[in-house]
Amino acid sequence: MTAREGGRATTAPAGTVLTGVLRTRRRSLVLWAVAVSAVATLYTAFYPSIGGDKMAVMMQSMPPGFITAMGFDSISTAAGYVSSTVYSLLGAILTLVCAIGLGARLIAGDEEDGTLELELSAPVSRLQLYLERLAVLWVGVLVLVVALSTVLAVLSVLLELELSPVNLIAAGTGLLLFGGALGTVAFATGAATGRRGTALAVSAAAAVVAYLLSYLGPLVDAPWMEDLSPFHWYIGGRPLSTGFDWSGLGLLAALALVAALGGAASFTRRDLMV
Amino acid sequence: MTPVIRARGLVKDYGPVRALRGVDLEVHPGEVFGFLGPNGAGKSTTIRLLVDLLRPTAGTVEVFGLTPAAGGAELRMRIGYLPGELAFPARLDAGEYLRHLAALRGGRGRPRIDELAQRFSLDLSRPLQALSKGNRQKVGLVQAFMHEPDLLVLDEPTSGLDPLLQREFRLLAQKSVARGATLFLSSHMLGEVEEVAGRVAIIREGRVVDVDDVRALRARAGQQVLLRFAEPVSLAEFDSLPGVQDAVLDPSDGVSLSCLLRGDPMPLLLAAARHRVVRWQVQDRELEDLFLDFYRAPDRTPPRDSATSGPAGTETGTETGTEKEAAR
Repeated sequence: MTAREGGRATTAPAGTVLTGVLRTRRRSLVLWAVAVSAVATLYTAFYPSIGGDKMAVMMQSMPPGFITAMGFDSISTAAGYVSSTVYSLLGAILTLVCAIGLGARLIAGDEEDGTLELELSAPVSRLQLYLERLAVLWVGVLVLVVALSTVLAVLSVLLELELSPVNLIAAGTGLLLFGGALGTVAFATGAATGRRGTALAVSAAAAVVAYLLSYLGPLVDAPWMEDLSPFHWYIGGRPLSTGFDWSGLGLLAALALVAALGGAASFTRRDLMV
Repeated sequence: MTPVIRARGLVKDYGPVRALRGVDLEVHPGEVFGFLGPNGAGKSTTIRLLVDLLRPTAGTVEVFGLTPAAGGAELRMRIGYLPGELAFPARLDAGEYLRHLAALRGGRGRPRIDELAQRFSLDLSRPLQALSKGNRQKVGLVQAFMHEPDLLVLDEPTSGLDPLLQREFRLLAQKSVARGATLFLSSHMLGEVEEVAGRVAIIREGRVVDVDDVRALRARAGQQVLLRFAEPVSLAEFDSLPGVQDAVLDPSDGVSLSCLLRGDPMPLLLAAARHRVVRWQVQDRELEDLFLDFYRAPDRTPPRDSATSGPAGTETGTETGTEKEAAR
C-alpha cells in the first residue's frame, strides 16, 4: 500500500513546523522587539544628561552596599551605564518575560488550548515538532537581541558613547543565551508536563533565584552564590566593558542543552493532549 | 489481509482513572466502521491511541499492522484525523492554516483545498477565530480528507453541520471508500453514522459491548410508537402482537396507546387499522435507549429475535424523528 507514495515525501519536510509557528507569532515578536528597543533607547538617551561626572557625584551619595548590589560600580562610564540599566535591568527583564512566556506557550500552552492537536497528528515526528518549536523560541529571542543591539550600536554612534562593537556582540550573545536558556527551561518544563502554569512557575522561579543569588552574593561575601547564578554567568563578566566571557556563555549554553534534552526525553514518551 | 485497525485488550489509564478496560476491535480494509458510545465511554481515548497522541497502558493497538508509536510520522501520513474538539491558532485565516497543514503532509493535499472548501462552501479568507462552529468543522473535515489518506479517523464528523452539509460529508465519505479508503467514525448518535457505516461497534464504560451490522442494530433499537384512536380500545388487542413490547394504554382516556416496536410493523398496523386512528407517531430510538436495554435485559443483551426483520423494519427506520398525523 505504500507504493502509492511514489517518490514524494512521506513526512513533513524540515522547517515546516518552524515557519508555520513563526507565522502565528510574528506580530507579537515584532511588538516585543519594538518594546525592548524603545526601553533601551529611553535609558541610553538619558546618558549624556546624567552620565559621566554627574553620575559619579550621585553615586557618592549612595550606600556602597547598594551600589555593589545593583552593579552600579562602573556606572559613570557609558558602557557601565548601559550595562547597568539596559542589560542588567529592563532589557534583561523584558527579554526574560518574552522568552519564558513564549517558551511556556510553544508546547504546553498550545497543548492546553488544543491547537497542537492537528500538528501532532500530522506526519511530523514528535522530536521534529519539539526541535522546530524550540527553534522558534531561539529565533524569537534572537530577534529581540538583534533589535536591541542594533539600536544600541546606532545610539552609540549618535551620542558618541564609544561602545565597542565587539563588546556589543559579546553582551548580545550573553543576553541571547541567558534569555534562551531560561526560555528553554520554560519550554522543556512545558513539554514535559503539558502544563503552561507549571512551565511559567518553574522558569520564573529559576529567574528570580538567579537574580537573588547574583545580587546577594557580593553583599554577604559568598562567591558560590554568584557561581550558581545564570544571571551572573550572563552579566558577571561585564561583557559590555570586557568582551566575551566564554565560561559564562558556556554555562548558559550547557543549561539550555540540559533542559532541552530533558524536555525532549519526556515529550517523546508521554501522553499528549490529556 | 492485515486489518486496518486491530486492538487487543486495549487498556488506558489516566492516573487512577481507567478509561479503557480492554477494548477489542478489528476494522477491515475498505469498510466504514461506526464507533458508537455515550460521552465519556472511551471513544476519543481510543481514537487518540490510533494517532499516537496517547500510548496504551496495556494491550496492543495496530494501524496497518504497525503500532502507532512505531509507525510514527510515515504512518500518520496515511491517516486523516478529525479531532472531536477543534482548536485553531490565532491570527491565521482558514486558507493559510490549511496550506500549513498541507505543507506538514509534504505538500500533499494542497491542490485539493480549494475543491473541498467549495464542496463545503467554506470561505478560505475568513480568519480562523471568527469561524462559527459549523465552519470550524468544515476546516477540520477539509484537512482530514485533503491528502486522500488510506484511513480516515473522524471523531463526531458531522457535529455542527446542517443537513445539506451532512449530505456533502456522506458523499465525500462514499467517494473515499470508492477509492479504497477505510473510514472509522465515532459518534454518540446512531443516526449520525447509520447512513454511511456498515458495521458498528458499541463502546460503553471502556469496553466494546457489541459489534454488529448497522441495520441489525437499528432494527434492534426499534421505534417508539404512539397511537391515538377515536374511541377506547383494549390493551389485549395489542400487547401480545409480534414485535410489540411495553404496550401501555393511557388509563385516563383509554384511547392513547404507546409501545416499543421492534421489527416488522405490519401486525401492529393491521391491528390498529381495525379502529379509527387519529394520530400515528413514530420515533426512532437513540443509542441511550439501547444502553437502557443492556441494563434491563437479564442476560444484558437486547433480544435478538426481531433483529432479522426484513426491509420493512429498516424502511421506517429512515424516518428519523418524524411525526405522521393521520388525516381526520
